[in-house]
Amino acid sequence: MAEQKKQAPVVAPPGMRRGGRNQEVEKPKSAGETLRRLMGYFGHETKTLVILLTSVAVTVQCTVWAPKLQSSAIDRITEGAFDRLPGILEMMLVLYAVHSVATYSQSLLSARLSQSVVRKMRRDLFRRIVHLPVRYLDNHSHGDVMSRMTNDVENISNTISQSLSSLVSGVLTLLGTVIMMLTLCWQLALLSCVTVILTVLATKYLSRAMKHFFRKRQVLLGQLNGNVEEMVTGYRTIVAYNRQESAVAEFEALSKQLTKTGIFAESLGGSMGPVMNVIGNIGFVIIAAFGGWFAINGTISVGVISAFIVYAKQFSRPIEEIAQLYGQIETALAGAERVFAVMDEEPEQQTGLLPMGSAGGTVQFSHVDFSYYPGKQVLFDFDLEVRAGQKVALVGATGSGKTTVVNLLMRFYDIDGGAIRIDGTDIRDMDRDELRRGTAIVLQDTVLFSDTVRNNLKYANPAASDQAVERAARMSNCHEMICRLPEGYDTRLSESGANLSQGQRQLLAIGRAFLADPKILILDEATSSVDTRTEQKIQDAMTNLMHDRTSIIIAHRLSTIRDADLIVVLDHGRIVEQGNHDQLLAQKGRYAQLYETQFAGKAT
Amino acid sequence: MRSIWKYIKRYWIWAILAPIAMVGEVAMDLIQPQLMAEIVDEGVLGLSNGGVSNLDIVLTTGRDMILWCIFGATCGVLSGVFANLCCQPLGGDLREEAFRRIMSLSFAQTNRFSTGSLVTRITNDITQIQNMVMQCIRGSFRTLLLFLGGIGCMLMLDLSFGVVIACALPLVAGCSWYFLRKTAPLFTVLQERLDRVNSVMQENVTGARVVKAYVREGYEEERFDAANEELIGTQLHILELFATMTPLLNIVLNVSVVAVIYVGGLRVQSGGATPGTVMAAITYVSQIMNAVLRMAMIFQTLSRGFASARRVEEVINCTPSIGSGSFDGKTDLRGQVELRDVSFAYPDGSGEPVLRHVSLTVRPGETLGIMGATGCGKSSLVQLIPRFYDATEGTVLVDGVDVREYDLHALRDKVAIALQKSDLFSTTLGENIRWGREDATQEELEEAAEVAQAAEFIHRKSDGFDTPVAEKGMSLSGGQKQRIAISRAVLKDAEILIFDDATSALDLKTEAELYTALNRKKGNVTKIIVAQRVASVQNADRIALLEEGRLIACASHRELLRTCPVYRDICRSQGKEGEQVG
Repeated sequence: MAEQKKQAPVVAPPGMRRGGRNQEVEKPKSAGETLRRLMGYFGHETKTLVILLTSVAVTVQCTVWAPKLQSSAIDRITEGAFDRLPGILEMMLVLYAVHSVATYSQSLLSARLSQSVVRKMRRDLFRRIVHLPVRYLDNHSHGDVMSRMTNDVENISNTISQSLSSLVSGVLTLLGTVIMMLTLCWQLALLSCVTVILTVLATKYLSRAMKHFFRKRQVLLGQLNGNVEEMVTGYRTIVAYNRQESAVAEFEALSKQLTKTGIFAESLGGSMGPVMNVIGNIGFVIIAAFGGWFAINGTISVGVISAFIVYAKQFSRPIEEIAQLYGQIETALAGAERVFAVMDEEPEQQTGLLPMGSAGGTVQFSHVDFSYYPGKQVLFDFDLEVRAGQKVALVGATGSGKTTVVNLLMRFYDIDGGAIRIDGTDIRDMDRDELRRGTAIVLQDTVLFSDTVRNNLKYANPAASDQAVERAARMSNCHEMICRLPEGYDTRLSESGANLSQGQRQLLAIGRAFLADPKILILDEATSSVDTRTEQKIQDAMTNLMHDRTSIIIAHRLSTIRDADLIVVLDHGRIVEQGNHDQLLAQKGRYAQLYETQFAGKAT
Repeated sequence: MRSIWKYIKRYWIWAILAPIAMVGEVAMDLIQPQLMAEIVDEGVLGLSNGGVSNLDIVLTTGRDMILWCIFGATCGVLSGVFANLCCQPLGGDLREEAFRRIMSLSFAQTNRFSTGSLVTRITNDITQIQNMVMQCIRGSFRTLLLFLGGIGCMLMLDLSFGVVIACALPLVAGCSWYFLRKTAPLFTVLQERLDRVNSVMQENVTGARVVKAYVREGYEEERFDAANEELIGTQLHILELFATMTPLLNIVLNVSVVAVIYVGGLRVQSGGATPGTVMAAITYVSQIMNAVLRMAMIFQTLSRGFASARRVEEVINCTPSIGSGSFDGKTDLRGQVELRDVSFAYPDGSGEPVLRHVSLTVRPGETLGIMGATGCGKSSLVQLIPRFYDATEGTVLVDGVDVREYDLHALRDKVAIALQKSDLFSTTLGENIRWGREDATQEELEEAAEVAQAAEFIHRKSDGFDTPVAEKGMSLSGGQKQRIAISRAVLKDAEILIFDDATSALDLKTEAELYTALNRKKGNVTKIIVAQRVASVQNADRIALLEEGRLIACASHRELLRTCPVYRDICRSQGKEGEQVG
């Protein structure tokens, strides 16, 4: 068949390009096991798979038979048997038609198959990630988790869509071609194998040489990207310190090095094509010269030479392709391994089923022990009771365990010993979702979604009316700021949130928590970037909203905690003092000391 | 494209040599089938020798073919080397030029581009341009040569083959054009949908606590599924288009082969052609059709390259909106800042002014505190002093001279600023501080860290000042990062020191010690301190109070307590009523 026979689309979509020789190959750890699991995704598609493989077999059949027909057509011309030519040509047309139909069904089915596998895989991965315990995400780099979704799944998708049929057809074509060549003229067939050996050798040595440069280039490219990212994000500081010149100098040095390595890497990579071409042409010469010699001797006909030329091409292409695919498949399997590793993580366990109850929200920690890592205990025999309607402030130095209390109450982490009860029910026996629905938190690092302001506020309470949204916004003192945005409540927040200041983002997060109308409200350094007068207004609104419910506040600003009903002073995971502001000051203990140094600003 | 062309011209020798070497490679591809025909016709069939085969012809022609092969491959490799000698430095130059340009833009301009987009322009877009130029001087030239050469050779073999080409070419060209037009816009859609899937994912990874706290896992799953379905749909659509296009093109090509054999058969019958010619023609016809197919691929690279070139040019051709003046900064006054009726609105904001008619003078050596509610314009005000932005109305003067008259470098040498968000760079702690003044001695470095209350925690690190800063300063607490940034500002020998809410994460004891040390070491330096806590500024000579962009009061702590109800309110909110200045 003619030269254009290729499985991959002529125009490769972005991000779907063949990894090919120039990519780093990664080795999977247990390829067999991963492959078996990957196959599981094809399990439900047996029918499609069978039709697909049948189409591939038909395509290969046509590919292998066509040159033989072409060869006999040439022979008829050589012999001068022109009357028999149209018959052969008709057969060729039929064969080509069948070939096209089979190719169509093959590409279509492999596209559908690969996309349905990828859809399922992406879905499964996301579902697992959403239900992973917070512990997992706290302990793993977010960039790493993200890259499993973006790079690895994408890689698997491309490999499946490209290699599945390529591999099958490659092997079949190879087999068919070899058989055809052997039946036509075994001597010439063996000679053609010289090209195969040359191809394999050239690929091996060239890629070994290239690997060094491509790896070096990859490292430099990573450095360059990191450098640009850092310099552009830190641009204010660069300007403030007149460092533009040295930033440029540093960048140029990297860039020059990259250019140099790029020349070597790409030149070597670029020579692969001509070298393969030369090997192909040597095969051409072998066939022409030896074929000619055999033809003169009468061993074969001229038509056989013509057929061999086509076969030789058909022969070397799958070898080249499989060599390429091999690396690609290894990389994809390594990626699949990483994806499956996430999927194998234990999701959050649903332990209890008891409802949260309608009582006020008394929170009781009794004898709670907790450690994030074995051997590094964070809370020791922690005892605390917060009655419904109370406002409690947790105070203490960095690392004293304030945020841990929140993590435990929300069941982001489970305690090692003791019990946490809400209205007398152990939270481990409680329906976890209901516990969380009844408790709203606002964190120091504000999380907003790339959606409209309104939807961000309604995140906790999607059914809220517009009036309720506005009321919550007014309470959190951000209504006016929202009205000043270009499209008010319908302004879309950008992903980076660059259009709002940190303080304004905190106000929105507080509004979101207010709208949730929770039984328990937790503010963890939630107003650290808000000025104290605005904070005061929010606190007043909060007092109204939460007057018969429980609030827990963590802050290091005196203004935030002063009015609390109960101030709890933590030190290294233990409660050292509790009481209200005046009581604690009168005690002249740790709080008084903290007040002097932390809040009043007097050097001791 | 014009400015890219300028860079190509620098490497014109290589840009010309690459296609020339390519001619050699293509010549080999074109000559091979003819030599092949000769082996068949003359060697095997012995057509001009009365049907007697000639093994010598087979062998000599075979030798020629191998020589041609080696020649062609050498040319091919050389052409690749030449092309890379042009493309790689070209990309490097563009990259460096774009980076240099970014380093001269104003914040208004970099904000408009956005950080992410600037990074992509310098990295991805440059690679796309390299690919495009590579395609231009190598790929497209090779394809064109093969295409024209193939047609030429085929017609030279026998003019009647022209009929086949004339019929098949428009079909192939039309077909590829049609599919290209259909798929091109889909790639943009594909990229958008991919970004969408990734952004949902990103938000769920970083915001896991919020998603869980509000029990919105189900909603997030739906959101993800919707994005995933859309992505899969687009991807499938593209793949289906290709699945249709490939067999269609195949059939045209294969029918052409049959037609060549048919036409060739007729010509051989009439004595106008030889069997060898027919065989050569089959090779040529597939070469021609392949060239057309590859052309389609090249168009794709070119259009992507053009888009990238436009994006990079946007950066390169962006004139810095804050131009440097000529004043060298030598003044008798040292450390005076004056704002005369200054109003300011962010260039691409909602247009609402952030500062309205602010007039204010800071005397040399004075300490000025600035306070006000979230979003009242505190940070904006101090950013006008080193000309991060230009005032919309009014004049900002440093040491009695309009900041717009200063040489930017000289102006910024006079000002040291520690920002709200402290940028740390991935080098050592010591190097980060040394950014303040590169030629500082180790003693000066330690002294600056001492003043900024950073020395203690730095010394507690195992490598002291040589401790590397992890990515974005993740290994340091907020207060530690701020103290590094302050050390940097202190080290810089500036007349004016600005803290833009730079001590918010320090506890008040540390902050108080910092200011005591600062007054001792930098007593004669003008200090401007933006803060939210009264304690941070209560010892300042004067405190300026901003409300919705207006200066509503400016006096000492004691005075303001007496005269300014807003200030009293702030103090009350911080539990500082009636407290005396310590």
